[in-house]
Amino acid sequence: MDVKITKLFFIFVSLLLCVCCFDDTDFDQANDVLVTPEIELDLIYFNLEASKFYDYTNNTEILVVQDTTDLDFLGGNDIANILKGADFFFEFTNSIPRSFNVSFDFLNQDNVSKYLMQTTVASATADQPVVSYFIQSLDELQIKELTKAKKVLVTVTIPSSSQDLTGVLNLQSKTTYYLQIEQ
Amino acid sequence: MKKFLFIFLFLGVSSVVCQNKQVLYNWEVTPQTLLLNPGSLVTSQFHAGIPLASGFHINVGSSGVSVFDVFADDGIDINTKITNTISRLSSRDFFTINQQLDVLNFGWLSKGFEPMYFSGGIYQELDVIAYFPKDIAILAWEGNRNYIGKAFDFSHVSARADVLTVYHFGVNKQVSKKLTAGVRLKLYSSMISVSSTRNKGAFKTTERVGSNNIYEHTVTDLDMEVNTSGFISLDGLEQPQVSKKLLGRALLGGNLGIGIDAGITYEFDKQLSLTASVLDLGAIFHTKDTESYKAKGDYTLDGIELIFPELENDQSTIPYYDNLEDDIVREIPIDTLNTGYTQLRPTKINAGLHYDFGRFVGDNGGCNCKNKGTKQKRVSQAGVQYFSIFRPGGLQLAGTLYYNRRLGNALSIKTTYTIDRYSAKNIGAGMFLNIQGVNLFLAADNLLQMSNLAKANSVSLQVGLNYILN
Repeated sequence: MDVKITKLFFIFVSLLLCVCCFDDTDFDQANDVLVTPEIELDLIYFNLEASKFYDYTNNTEILVVQDTTDLDFLGGNDIANILKGADFFFEFTNSIPRSFNVSFDFLNQDNVSKYLMQTTVASATADQPVVSYFIQSLDELQIKELTKAKKVLVTVTIPSSSQDLTGVLNLQSKTTYYLQIEQ
Repeated sequence: MKKFLFIFLFLGVSSVVCQNKQVLYNWEVTPQTLLLNPGSLVTSQFHAGIPLASGFHINVGSSGVSVFDVFADDGIDINTKITNTISRLSSRDFFTINQQLDVLNFGWLSKGFEPMYFSGGIYQELDVIAYFPKDIAILAWEGNRNYIGKAFDFSHVSARADVLTVYHFGVNKQVSKKLTAGVRLKLYSSMISVSSTRNKGAFKTTERVGSNNIYEHTVTDLDMEVNTSGFISLDGLEQPQVSKKLLGRALLGGNLGIGIDAGITYEFDKQLSLTASVLDLGAIFHTKDTESYKAKGDYTLDGIELIFPELENDQSTIPYYDNLEDDIVREIPIDTLNTGYTQLRPTKINAGLHYDFGRFVGDNGGCNCKNKGTKQKRVSQAGVQYFSIFRPGGLQLAGTLYYNRRLGNALSIKTTYTIDRYSAKNIGAGMFLNIQGVNLFLAADNLLQMSNLAKANSVSLQVGLNYILN
């Protein structure tokens, strides 16, 4: 009796082990997993008063103003490997009766330009602010250059200025980053 | 990332209520039954488990996803299946692993003035539970682009993992003709512990409404904490040194805790009985080798404002980016603490109503002639069982219907049907074999899924070898 029962027990165990399996699955699909988040992030903004374009001490025009900021998160191999595209969106609201040339020069640590974006901002008319947009989409090759940059130099150029010039040039901007993370 | 995902899903195969041992509960009197209810009816004189083999339990489960959901060979792109799975799961879904290994187990009947059954031993336990951090998963998988205005909730991050040894000693006594009660004291020695529960806060990207830039990225009311113990001192050690340290902790050298199990069996009559137990009512006091990380605060980001300062020659520009980083660190500091903390054990409650029927085993007319005075078993028992466990995300419940058939004194078979919030098709079975005092048991559940484990939400297995002298 005991022998029979023991046999039965081990048959049960064997059956349990034999029938256990993973059917109709393909674990190699793990190699195809691609994480593709799309991230919306503010970039820079400014409110540039018309008075910035005139030197009241020396009574001279200032036709070019510049500022720069590091963008550490852009540079480096880690981001270069996963960033596959980016859309830069700039929105200018200009209440200064002048047009502007604005450039965004992405520089590396040695201040060498790696990627340049330029646009023109329309002049305000009859004290009415003018809104203009500039959109630049970067493909994978352009991204490779961009990710060599560590900072951005913003240059705003005005064709002419005067001491009674009034108004504000406002910029708001954002970037959509297209990431692709694979094994 | 993919490896993490794979492991997460592979393990996610859901009795869901992971520490439920519905087949073993109130089954034949094995040492493991006494561990589930110290107030079980005991008919043996002595028992001794085979060291490291007297009991092994493992259960892996997930509450909302199976391996098949993601890895099915169905021609659908795996990324689409992952997107659908993330969408279907909720932050109350969870993944669990629970494993117990009896190192030592013994017990004996003390026939003094007041007969009592003493039992004790040591077991090792691994217990992991991780709730699905849905919002964080969406953010990582899809980003925030399609979720402008949505608050990503950090409270979805809730996980806990413990490796510990448990030293226990219990006493079981028949208090009256109808009532048997037992209590077990436990001393916990934690080897490694990490937990992050009770988090809160949210991240949201909103479109401008009077803000400086196009968006406002806000972190609101963030309060997150990760507690660890047993990790720092392992950092940089070679494998043999790690093993030595862990062994030391297993031998009462870890962070200690104390707990209690208690249980009863109440026999209404010779056929109907009620059992109930509460297990692991206790806590571990993590006082040494602890490190906790805490992040708390609020922050709003709207990009970097350029102010075009008038700079003199050689004057450096404003470090906008560094200032931004400093602002974030100041507003949401991440503190590293080495203070101790107390962690409650996941308390379990078992209960059951049992009805014995059919002829007597061995058919000796109701007399257990070997152990006079103890109730002789009938060939059949059926009943209903209840199980619950306190988890970080709340109480998890399970209900079981079972039938137990004894074939002589040598073989007992128990089948169970368990239902819980996530599964209504969990059939379990166990076989208990007794050959001249040597007892071998094997129990498993989710048998309907055994033919293809990929479709199972959980897998559970218990096996053990003991010597029991009746």
